[in-house]
Amino acid sequence: MVYDILYFNKHHTSYTIHHTPYTTHHTPHTPYIIHQDFKTMADKLFYFLSFLALLSAMMVVTAKNPIHSVLYLILTFFCLSGHYVLLNAQFVAVVNIIVYAGAIMVLFLFVIMFLNLKQDDEEAKTNLTKIAATIVGGTLGVILVAVFRKAQLGTYNPYSFNSQVGMVENLGEVLYNDYLLPFELASVLFLIAMVGAVMLAKREVGDRHF
Amino acid sequence: MLEAGFIIKSLIILALFGLTLLIATYSTYAERKVAAFLQDRLGPNRAGPWGLLQPIADAGKMFFKEDFIPSQASKWLFIAGPCLSMLTALMATAVVPFGDSVKYTTGPNQILTVPVQPIDVNIGVLYIFGVVSLGVYGLMIGGWASNNKFSLLGAIRAASQNISYEIPMGLSMIAILMMTGSLSMGEIVSQQHGGNWNIFYQPLGFIIFITCAFAECNRTPFDLPECETELIGGYHTEYSSMKLGFYLFSEYINMFVSSAVISNLFFGGYNYPFMDSVHQFLTNNLGAIAGHNVATLIGTVVLFGKIFFFIFFFMWVRWTLPRFRYDQLMNLGWKGLIPLAMLNIVLTGGAILFLKPLITALLK
Amino acid sequence: MLSIILLSIFGIVVLFLGFQKSKNILLPATLLCIAIAFAANFVHWNDAPGLYFKEMLFENRLTMSFSAIVLLSAFLVVALTRGFADDEAAQPAEYYAIILFSLVGAIMMIGFDNLIMLFLGVEILSVSMYVLTGSDKRNLRSNEAALKYFLMGAFATGIMLFGIALLYGATGSFNLTDIRGYVGTNSFSISTLLYVGLLLVLIGMLFKVSAAPFHFWTPDVYDGAPTVFTAFMSTIVKTAGFAAIYRLLSGSFEGIYNFWWFTLAAITILTLVVGNITAVYQQSFKRMMAYSSISHAGYLLLSLTAMTAQTPDAIVFYSLAYSLATVSAFGVLMAVAREKSVQSHENAEDFEAFNGLGKRNPLLAFVLTVSMLSLAGIPLTAGFWGKFFIFGTIVERGNLIWMLIVAILMSAVGIYYYFKVIIATYMKDGETGALRVPPFYRIVLIVSTTLTLLFGLIPKLLS
Repeated sequence: MVYDILYFNKHHTSYTIHHTPYTTHHTPHTPYIIHQDFKTMADKLFYFLSFLALLSAMMVVTAKNPIHSVLYLILTFFCLSGHYVLLNAQFVAVVNIIVYAGAIMVLFLFVIMFLNLKQDDEEAKTNLTKIAATIVGGTLGVILVAVFRKAQLGTYNPYSFNSQVGMVENLGEVLYNDYLLPFELASVLFLIAMVGAVMLAKREVGDRHF
Repeated sequence: MLEAGFIIKSLIILALFGLTLLIATYSTYAERKVAAFLQDRLGPNRAGPWGLLQPIADAGKMFFKEDFIPSQASKWLFIAGPCLSMLTALMATAVVPFGDSVKYTTGPNQILTVPVQPIDVNIGVLYIFGVVSLGVYGLMIGGWASNNKFSLLGAIRAASQNISYEIPMGLSMIAILMMTGSLSMGEIVSQQHGGNWNIFYQPLGFIIFITCAFAECNRTPFDLPECETELIGGYHTEYSSMKLGFYLFSEYINMFVSSAVISNLFFGGYNYPFMDSVHQFLTNNLGAIAGHNVATLIGTVVLFGKIFFFIFFFMWVRWTLPRFRYDQLMNLGWKGLIPLAMLNIVLTGGAILFLKPLITALLK
Repeated sequence: MLSIILLSIFGIVVLFLGFQKSKNILLPATLLCIAIAFAANFVHWNDAPGLYFKEMLFENRLTMSFSAIVLLSAFLVVALTRGFADDEAAQPAEYYAIILFSLVGAIMMIGFDNLIMLFLGVEILSVSMYVLTGSDKRNLRSNEAALKYFLMGAFATGIMLFGIALLYGATGSFNLTDIRGYVGTNSFSISTLLYVGLLLVLIGMLFKVSAAPFHFWTPDVYDGAPTVFTAFMSTIVKTAGFAAIYRLLSGSFEGIYNFWWFTLAAITILTLVVGNITAVYQQSFKRMMAYSSISHAGYLLLSLTAMTAQTPDAIVFYSLAYSLATVSAFGVLMAVAREKSVQSHENAEDFEAFNGLGKRNPLLAFVLTVSMLSLAGIPLTAGFWGKFFIFGTIVERGNLIWMLIVAILMSAVGIYYYFKVIIATYMKDGETGALRVPPFYRIVLIVSTTLTLLFGLIPKLLS
């Protein structure tokens, strides 16, 4: 969406309704370099979104009130969706919002509201646990920072790079051809989860009725 | 610096935004008039001719009332609730096509064609679905932040109801997507050219979709989150002044958006029978560009006609049907609509696989 | 490969069989399903090894053997669930369906060629285990176990997923073959992400097989879960987990053996020491078996650390021996504890439950003895040859003899606590009166004991 607005006044001379604008942007002979304006804009957006994502992720952990935690988590998901849009993967972006922000987090909020955890009684932890947790977390953090500093990240070839790879059509092609087996078996996973949840939560004869 | 296309697009977006608000405002008036008509009363008739200034008077009243925040409420979330509700309601129109396209001459032999649609992303349907699924946050946050049992109950009802009815809604959309093979709203509408509307292929999908639309808008017969006999005002019990106004207003905007989406997905959007001959006639008489633009205008008017019909339908149902009981609501959603929607998908898939080749073979 | 599809379908079929009034058909139907899957597993036995489903699944004789072990143990464990449907409120169809589905996950883990398949397989197996652990809904300990397992398992899966993401970041592929290619061609400029990614994936997997620093969930979960599912967990999850680790390490990362062997060696030693030493102090048989399962994970890791040409055979044999012995041990425990729990609910699963078993039911006592001997690795049982082959791989590697010494010492410790059970069975006096065992149990126990002895006498049978 951002993409569309940004492109509007720069590179377009004609609009037709039956073609989505995307199909005309990255024909193989127009490499990325042309869109320098967009790149800087995307960079700024990227840093802004990353900052917001990290900040809200921190707040998820540090917020005292669980409801606030959940709301910050939702904000984090939005930032991630923003990243997906920047990567031209709109389908994943929207599905992320629908599934995580729109369904799972609603259920989270729902359950937390039911539990009524308003009074902020902190769980008592021994100092030993706290120290151990700090050491372990700190070590992992140091290792990850060190690794990412030294990592050689993969690069892409701007001439062979297919910017349409995140579109629904391509995603469908990949999902139903290359990844058909895991895609189908994921349904087994969900079926187990559903059957299990129903089985464990089902009220039995003699159980308390609320 | 600014291109003509950009200006036109901005104007279209602004016009649609204003129109959305205007229609939502006058929906409140229409609701009261329709209610009065159905109950054999007169309805508002004092403010202005036929009571036409009533919504403005209502808005003025809302603005000047005391803006009260309960002392034990979570202040920022209490304010955020109605704002979010309004925001998500207004966001959904961004991808809805309100007409074909406007043509504009920028220079010799240069004609700009701008679709009458704020943004045509190629995942428009999913975008609407995503925004709709976010709509519940305004209600939940407001209900929880009020620190009131009735508000909380209303919020919880709203959450479970919205989650439950999103599923059949999405599933009934999938049948449409299978037919059109595109997620873009513009594409879906343009495929229903003329009188080739989706409703003729998807009657079951339409019934499921409109039922879910009622539930997602929290309209009667599914208005349990604000069911006054049980929950006082539901999630907005503690709200007053324009915050309450936002909640009520967003309901009407949602109604408008749902009507627009239903018209576009199932009833051809701006398409109407014999539109080609009308287009032909206008371009012959008024010239290529002006004729096209007038034809687009007619299409838009037709679309709004459909939208107004569905808004009326929403009101008609509200003043005709009684409210469901909560367990009935859940049973209908999970045991009725979801299996039906899945059946619809299977039937659609079967029809695409077997019936379509058969018909094309027969037509040859 | 065929068995994955079959089991997925059978699971749904069994779910639908649950609509029937009579629950008696479910057990035979499930057993039949597993038997068919077992047969289908060998359809491609003589074909050349190959990749299937767009390089998602790999199949050769090794993966088929692992699948066969998993299916055989599943068959035996499911046969032990006789009497499961007696409880009126029980929903056996759902349990059986989940068991069948979990086997899909196990076989995916065994033959994955794409890290997505590994992740999905681990998740399918784990989620079914969480549910089965908590299936005794009225029992607080079962609930606690399920929740503990779920929370910790979810974290482990998250860590593993992070590792997979890093591996993808380093190599640009989820495919084991491609990753192997990356490791092989860029041996001097491997991205640092790959190392961390590998470690994180290994941590996730080692959690699932309960290796030492990640073993804290094991005793509580094994103790809290219904005994049938403890047997299921300690055989199938472990076999599949080790098959997956072997496949990951041998399939992609043999080129950087020098990087990971020391990590794995440290974990192995820790696992062996913690598992064996802690097992000595246990009073409950189930907890003892939990720690014993940790120690067996250590032996299996030993062979993985060596990573020689003999490693796959050693792991296959050891898994088989371990699974058979474990199934029969838990089978005996169930038979005894069931009797016991009728009289009193307390300490039904302690060592004392076996007191005087030699007189009450000689068959059960014999089965228990053979399984304990096999677990301890005494000659003439399959367990001996299992340990023999495992130690053989270490000797073949050459420079890891010090690990072998630790392992042998720890086996000696193991003999102590396994013999405690045998002593309780024959030497101590307990209740009198014959213990009746349902015929179904008897068949299962006899089959697994016979196999244990058979492989103990003729270990060549398997090759």
